[in-house]
Amino acid sequence: MKKIKFMIMTLAIAFSIGGAFATTPRLPQDCLGATQYYLNGGSYVLAGRMGIDYICNTPSSAVCTYYKVGSTYTPCCWGNYCTSNCMTSKPAPKKARN
Amino acid sequence: MNRRQVTLEAIAALLILLFLYAGISKFLEFDRFIGEMNNQPFPNSWTPFLVWTIPSLEIVIALTLMFERTRLPGLIASLILMTLFTLYTGSVLLHFFAYVPCSCGGVIRKLSWPQHMVFNLFFVALSVLGIILQRRKFFTSIFITKKNLV
Repeated sequence: MKKIKFMIMTLAIAFSIGGAFATTPRLPQDCLGATQYYLNGGSYVLAGRMGIDYICNTPSSAVCTYYKVGSTYTPCCWGNYCTSNCMTSKPAPKKARN
Repeated sequence: MNRRQVTLEAIAALLILLFLYAGISKFLEFDRFIGEMNNQPFPNSWTPFLVWTIPSLEIVIALTLMFERTRLPGLIASLILMTLFTLYTGSVLLHFFAYVPCSCGGVIRKLSWPQHMVFNLFFVALSVLGIILQRRKFFTSIFITKKNLV
């Protein structure tokens, strides 16, 4: 009985630790760890810091920010890109504390 | 090992899998987690507190679920944490906050908010079932001990 218990626990621990490491992006340019860009009039512009310079407002199927993989811009976050100068009907991003 | 015992072990294992995976993943991608927390609709001043508390709590809960003696408090803590996450998800879905934060890459992160709700409710139900089974087991063991003493 104890053997089965021990086996179940060992499997759960091994899968969770292994899974966490396996799903962690190894490349620094992967998604949120990378520099974020947003599409502005056909060109990609630096987005700034998420939650401070901008927010991604959902529900929306639009791509909010992109990150660069080689020379390709790949979607990272979904929603509407919103900054302090975005329309009044949408919320402004939170300001960082100094 | 009876069916109740196996169910209890399976519940504990699933919760350990969830909490340990979630806690370790957050620490492994700490910068990303900070960004995600900043994108949530609560004040950014909460971020330094939350980014340490949430993953630490998740790992501590996973550890308590591993041992028989601490399993009941672990299941109760798991129910409280999952209920809080569910309430937050519900608030987001009901547009309680000024905006709905984005969902970004990752495995659990790829879930939409309604999917998150179902996912959370499943683990809330698992925690409740785990508490019921663990309490029954606890009282049964007391009853058997008393019977043996008499």
